[in-house]
Amino acid sequence: MASTTIDHYLRVGGNEVALDPEGYLVELSDWSPAVAECLAEQEGIALTPEHWEVIGVLRAFYARYEQAPAMRPLVKAVGRELGPEKGRSIHLMRLFPGSPAKVSARLAGLPKPANCL
Amino acid sequence: MLLHILNRSPLSSLVYRQAIATMGTEDRLLLIEDGVQGALPTLVRHFEALEGRLFALREDLVARGLAGKCDASVQVVDVDGFVELTEEAERTVSWY
Amino acid sequence: MTDVPPYHGDLLVILRHGPHGSSLLREGLDAALVAAAFGRDVSLLFMGEGISALVRDQQVGPLGQKGTAATLQMLEMYDIDRLLVDGEGLAGLGLAPRDLMLPVEVLDSSAMAVQPKVHRLVLTF
Repeated sequence: MASTTIDHYLRVGGNEVALDPEGYLVELSDWSPAVAECLAEQEGIALTPEHWEVIGVLRAFYARYEQAPAMRPLVKAVGRELGPEKGRSIHLMRLFPGSPAKVSARLAGLPKPANCL
Repeated sequence: MLLHILNRSPLSSLVYRQAIATMGTEDRLLLIEDGVQGALPTLVRHFEALEGRLFALREDLVARGLAGKCDASVQVVDVDGFVELTEEAERTVSWY
Repeated sequence: MTDVPPYHGDLLVILRHGPHGSSLLREGLDAALVAAAFGRDVSLLFMGEGISALVRDQQVGPLGQKGTAATLQMLEMYDIDRLLVDGEGLAGLGLAPRDLMLPVEVLDSSAMAVQPKVHRLVLTF
């Protein structure tokens, strides 16, 4: 869930964006593509069109369901929107190494997914 | 056989009906906490569909001064009996 | 003892409370989502007041409380598609399946009485 505790700030251009202790945005409305680029840099990820299309799927998922998806529903949503080739956990693992549901939600400006480890 | 456990009195909550509605023909119902009121002769009719499969927890009856006032159709068990009922059941379902 | 019937699923979550009035409906849905996220085969059984969670056209509460409709719409993304409704309770609310936002299976009293038996675990909310 979205945390309201400000832990540190991310400098994006001239602005400071508040992050919670786990690096998720405190104010979801602070998100912009530039914020995503900065968050990705912290993760050591260079965002490609393949990353951006998954971020788009996540933002649409949140707009519709008001929650960030766990891994299974994320895989399902990506498969539906971007085709079965991309709707596979290996694809998401490659793009967002570690814990794809958490990392991708963070970059997409969503709260931490509630229903995953 | 499943053991259903109910902790609300039929005087305060209709949840007992939901418990009964999901009980199979072998399932048992144990009344605990405020649920033991249902063992009184005036209230036990709510459980008449369960003939022989209705239990009440002695400790909760005693605490409420109802130990000697149960209907004869109710089987009174102590905590050890509760454990035995749990062991005999495939699993338990709580109603509150 | 009779033989155990074939299981219909790993987990049955019984939902007995409506939206807005308490947190139990949300807690029950959260439990179902966690189980489904870990690959469990989950069924939901809506009883009594809980059936009102499925009514169409729900809004946020008067104090702006988030409803549960979006979460219910999300269930299919977690592959939770066995939605069971107590037929007696549905009739008691004067509702029919067409009044509900999701496709459901309406159960008669004999089908109701086997649900806890045909799931490996039962949680009531």
